Amino acid sequence: MKKLLAIAMMALMTFGATAGIAVAGSYSKQKVVYHVNYGDEKRQKGALRNIQNHINAVGKENLDLRVVMHSKGYTLLKRANNNPDFEQKVANLKKQGVKFQICANTLRGKKINYKNDLYDVEKSDIVPSGVAELAHLQQMGFAYIRP
Amino acid sequence: MKNDRDNPFSDEFLNAFVDGQLTSEEKAEAYERINRDHSVNRKVCELRKLRDLVQLAYAAPPPPPVHKAGPRSRRRTPLNIAAGLVAGFALLLGAVFGWHLSGGDAVPPAVSQSGAAPGPGAAARPGSAQLASARQEQKVLFHLNSGDPENMKEALDEVENLLKFYRKTGQRARVELVMNGGGLKLVRQDASPYPERVRRMQKEYNNLTFIACQNSIDRLKDERGITARLVPGTVVIDSGVAQIMRRQQQGWAYIQV
Repeated sequence: MKKLLAIAMMALMTFGATAGIAVAGSYSKQKVVYHVNYGDEKRQKGALRNIQNHINAVGKENLDLRVVMHSKGYTLLKRANNNPDFEQKVANLKKQGVKFQICANTLRGKKINYKNDLYDVEKSDIVPSGVAELAHLQQMGFAYIRP
Repeated sequence: MKNDRDNPFSDEFLNAFVDGQLTSEEKAEAYERINRDHSVNRKVCELRKLRDLVQLAYAAPPPPPVHKAGPRSRRRTPLNIAAGLVAGFALLLGAVFGWHLSGGDAVPPAVSQSGAAPGPGAAARPGSAQLASARQEQKVLFHLNSGDPENMKEALDEVENLLKFYRKTGQRARVELVMNGGGLKLVRQDASPYPERVRRMQKEYNNLTFIACQNSIDRLKDERGITARLVPGTVVIDSGVAQIMRRQQQGWAYIQV
């Protein structure tokens, strides 16, 4: 009987320990790329919210998070240029280390002046091809999310 | 060339298949046969593995040839294949040996050995898709599940822009566009707004495959009584979702349109 009890206790403790780790839930480092190629305002707003929630869950120190925009996705940064709500959200994410990357083909095709039309874009934020960048990042181990 | 009834695919044909040198019709036929026949499937797998090893051994493979001539003219002869195999193994052996000599650095051996490896300039912008991993074959799967004409056009645009980009930057690539649900419409001869463009892209890029989902074809028949007539050269696979998972497990990048 005693033996049985001891086994039961041990099982319980083991279970408790495992459960404890699960609850503590500290994620290890993550590399993630978010894909935005749509112009719908609500959906873009949702994407920004997803990203913030992602950071909250994993911790900014554990994240290498990129947002790759092309096609109509560029309007996210256009909105951030005109709409204070978008601006504040994008600025906040950037402060937490999120990199916003925009496709050169899109800028060229839609004749966008990134300095005037878009919010806070540097030359280093421009990638030659948004789609090729998405493929490249996945090959470098980034997880792909299209909210 | 072996050509018995049990194995109508010659080695030459399978090699051309693995190297993406077949016409879209031949490719469709090959896919179907590979799905049915286990032994052919295994053989293709081995050829692919071998090809990947050979590619790994060449640090900077030459850009894929721009095809002007018919696909048959560029097929490998058995002698070439044999020479390729020997060269591949020799390089691999050298690479592994070299790796051991260098004390097993984290740098891939084949890369560190090559004199043609990109210089320090390439490391200056490691984030750029244009420079990094140029020696590796790019494998990208696009997924289209919407029958909205605008989305269909976007899918074709994105696929074509990427293929052009890889061609321009001299990168080897394989691209698949998997269509299920409403997306199937893109390759339905009776319903697609862009059948000619699909045909043209098939001819222009022999490293591009249009893939339709059998489940979606069946559902179209069951639910709406429509028998899908597909644009010639379209490859049909059992399940689009299964294909997406398979490819991601094989290291393909996934992009939803």
